[in-house]
Amino acid sequence: MDKDYFMSSGIIPPPQPLHFETSMPNPWSSDQSFFNPNPSIIHQFPHFDSSWTSIASSTTAAALAPPSLAADPGFAERAAKFSRFGSRSLNGRTSPPPMSRGSNPPAAELSTPPLKPDGSPPPRNRNSGENSNGESSVSDQIPAKMNSRKRKAISRGKNKDDRSNSPKEAAADGSSKRSKQSENCENEEECNKADQKPPEPPKDYIHVRARRGQATDSHSLAERVRREKISERMKLLQDLVPGCNKVTGKALMLDEIINYVQSLQRQVEFLSMKLASVNPDLDFNMESLLSKDMYQQQLYPLDSSIYHNQNVQHQHLQGTTISSVDPLPLDASLGIDGFSENLPQFPAFTEDDLHSIVQMGFLQNSVQNQTSNMKVEL
Amino acid sequence: MAMNFHQSAIKTRFAVRFVQAMKRLNKRRGVTTTDSYKRYRATRAAACASMASAVGPQRAWSRAVLSKTKRRRFQAISRKRRLINPRRNLGFGQEEDLRGLVPGGKGMEYCSLLSETAHYIRCLQAQIQVMTDILHHSSSLN
Repeated sequence: MDKDYFMSSGIIPPPQPLHFETSMPNPWSSDQSFFNPNPSIIHQFPHFDSSWTSIASSTTAAALAPPSLAADPGFAERAAKFSRFGSRSLNGRTSPPPMSRGSNPPAAELSTPPLKPDGSPPPRNRNSGENSNGESSVSDQIPAKMNSRKRKAISRGKNKDDRSNSPKEAAADGSSKRSKQSENCENEEECNKADQKPPEPPKDYIHVRARRGQATDSHSLAERVRREKISERMKLLQDLVPGCNKVTGKALMLDEIINYVQSLQRQVEFLSMKLASVNPDLDFNMESLLSKDMYQQQLYPLDSSIYHNQNVQHQHLQGTTISSVDPLPLDASLGIDGFSENLPQFPAFTEDDLHSIVQMGFLQNSVQNQTSNMKVEL
Repeated sequence: MAMNFHQSAIKTRFAVRFVQAMKRLNKRRGVTTTDSYKRYRATRAAACASMASAVGPQRAWSRAVLSKTKRRRFQAISRKRRLINPRRNLGFGQEEDLRGLVPGGKGMEYCSLLSETAHYIRCLQAQIQVMTDILHHSSSLN
């Protein structure tokens, strides 16, 4: 579990890359080439774990202060505390350091508990001397309180405890900005500036609570509703995109989604390239293509779209189940301009005899404005 | 919008259209049969347009793709110009990236952008499956 926090927070667990420990004086510079921190290259591998990005960026960031990190005996312990610290969204007992990017105010993210404390190791180590004691004590005191507070807050209405509920900060989406900023910090290797993340959210978490009862004006209500809708859509997307489950936070998820869409589009291009090269030798036989058990059909209610003008026999076809008896050759010379206007609707389908059933409702008799009969070849 | 997505039906619709388009492409004499790059471009365009046509005009992204293909034919100026900017950009360019990826994404609000993305992803997955099937099938035939 802690290892996961390490990954997400960009801290390298000590035992993991052994070559870090062996060459003590400069462990990171020797391995900087290994972990290519270049974000552009990382994006070329869309299936990279988000943990890789964090590791890669943290290595470069960590290269700035290798000795302290390498020589830190209590590193693991402190890192554990930091991860726990970040994950509990502790309140701001420690004084919040100034923001590096002034335009982006921090905000607590209640819904994403493993808050990216993706400050890099060096800043964390810089603060470690000062803050560790305070943080450890804080973190020891806090867990129970924070959990209970979190629970209470959640129970009172997820809306109100939504991330961006600090109008004082004048950015309704401050939290998402903060998480995205932290994510971008990782990507842009400016983690040094983002070292104030862990103390910040707790402070705003308090503000969230304080404001909870007051945000009843229509504007913030609408904002909240909208935010709910957005998070609901994001959950849908999360189910759709593989590998998105481990990722939390809007920013990372959006990155995953974007990478996934890009990879899908690239796959389509690749496949079309292959098909284009194969194509001249090919005679596209509808019958053999469609007789395969490729597509499980279900009863699909027809949607009315632009094909209505073609569908004189729509009702007629819907009642019939096309069985194996009638081979209907498809005349491809129909010249479907615009790809849309000339095809009729597909009727409802049955599931039996998938190998022989062509589940397409092509008109048996020619529609007047068609050039020829449309038939499907079995 | 209900995400009532019958992927199998979409696959069939797409397959039919795409195969028809490929047949037409094959029959076309001239540049497309010789120039491989143009063939690739035409194939890709056929794939995207077939997919959009299979989906129909009910989704914003398919409408955008269809209008793109139709307008290229008729060389009409796009009338759909959103004067009101979509809602403010959150984060660090991710929303813009997403808008750039999903067709028609530029004019949408963030909420609808997300749902269009979801539908678009499913359609892309279906498209990829169909195209791989066609490819494997055709290669097994030869």
